[in-house]
Amino acid sequence: MYKAVIIGGSAGSFQVITRILNSLPANFPLPLLLCLHRLKHVRSGFVEALSIKSSIPVIEPYDKDQIKPGKAYLAPANYHMFIELGNRIALSTEGPVNHSRPSIDLSFITAAQVYREKLIGIILSGANKDGAYGLKKINDLGGVTIVQDPNECQVKTMTESSLQLTKVDHVYSTNEIIKYLQKIKN
Amino acid sequence: MLRYEIGIVETRNVIKAILDIYGYDFRDYALTSFKRRLEDAITTYALKDADGLIFRLQNNKGFFDHLLKDINPETTEMFRDPSLWRSLREEIFPEIVRTTSKPKIWVGALDSGEELYSLCIVLKEIDLLDKFNIFSSYISEETVKKIKGGKIYPKQHEANDANYQRSNGAKRYSDYFPQGIGTVMSTINVDLIAGVTFVKQDSVFSNPPSGVKLTLFRNQIIFFNQILQDKVLNKIQDALIPGGYLVLGIKESLENTNANNNFTVTNDAEKIYKKKSG
Repeated sequence: MYKAVIIGGSAGSFQVITRILNSLPANFPLPLLLCLHRLKHVRSGFVEALSIKSSIPVIEPYDKDQIKPGKAYLAPANYHMFIELGNRIALSTEGPVNHSRPSIDLSFITAAQVYREKLIGIILSGANKDGAYGLKKINDLGGVTIVQDPNECQVKTMTESSLQLTKVDHVYSTNEIIKYLQKIKN
Repeated sequence: MLRYEIGIVETRNVIKAILDIYGYDFRDYALTSFKRRLEDAITTYALKDADGLIFRLQNNKGFFDHLLKDINPETTEMFRDPSLWRSLREEIFPEIVRTTSKPKIWVGALDSGEELYSLCIVLKEIDLLDKFNIFSSYISEETVKKIKGGKIYPKQHEANDANYQRSNGAKRYSDYFPQGIGTVMSTINVDLIAGVTFVKQDSVFSNPPSGVKLTLFRNQIIFFNQILQDKVLNKIQDALIPGGYLVLGIKESLENTNANNNFTVTNDAEKIYKKKSG
């Protein structure tokens, strides 16, 4: 019934995202779309670090790559990652949004427009408000919205701005996010 | 970041109006980013909605050039991906001048001059600027005016400078600004591009230069759908001489296109491809 999970995070999200990846089975039935703020001039190393204990392959997609279940797609450094009609990745070099490229808002908005109510959006720890508007779009178009419990976040700005803008479906700890995702069967 | 949004049907209506009135074809541009560009234009020009944009297009011919400028993807950085520029500086350009007389370089990407100035600075520093014929594509008259004016926004310097240093630039970035760099708009040394030939393009690159030895086409085909990617790569292939180089953005790959069989990979990390001979 769901078609994708999209996760956004910034400062303090790396450990959370690795715990999530490491806890999901190789046959996880959905694609995971990851938009995490990162240093724009460091092209390599991030995918490798996320992959160490992940059963799910983590990929930095090329433009127009087909999105497939059981894979994690990490927005590449210095590009925005859009979800395009036809279930493909489309990259963009348009200017930074919320001082960020990749911008979580842009990935979330475009994913919401393609997957609508069949999308699960998750905002993790982070130090700016990027992602808050994108999560609102997911909510407006009928998708499921989850925010990491700000009390657990290393930096609360991103989760708190998301909670201010949207009445989200769930405020979860990392463990609860993992349990929620593990229960998804398609 | 609340913003004005339009739907897919409205986007297609604007695309149809542009085609009908001006003959520029955006039907095979990647929809999501093109829709965003139109939304930005509607906001920038304080138009009410997509119909307002179409009305303006129908009634103000001068407006279309502004729109072409806005539809151009901004690359926003000089020396983007410094390791590519190192490779061009240290390997590719010296090799080209050893093997080809008066080689032609085509800057195909329709940005606002970042690629062109980066290229000319690198060639100047290795003393090869006068050995190449450089052609630069543009789609909007306003953009080419901007490029020739050499104005750089203050907020761009930090990224440009950091990239320049990582690209093994031989001087200081600020050396290319005769009046220096400050907190206001500064002017880059426009003599760098004095020998460049500007070539007007339409939206689907119907009219590329010929006999090209190397084309910089980075982060351009990401704005096309796969149909147009294949068409434009065909044009590029025809423009290149056998053994000529195609440089794409680091996240653009020929593997998702029909052109894959006609090129070999020279540098996979930097996406430098070479057209096969014969």
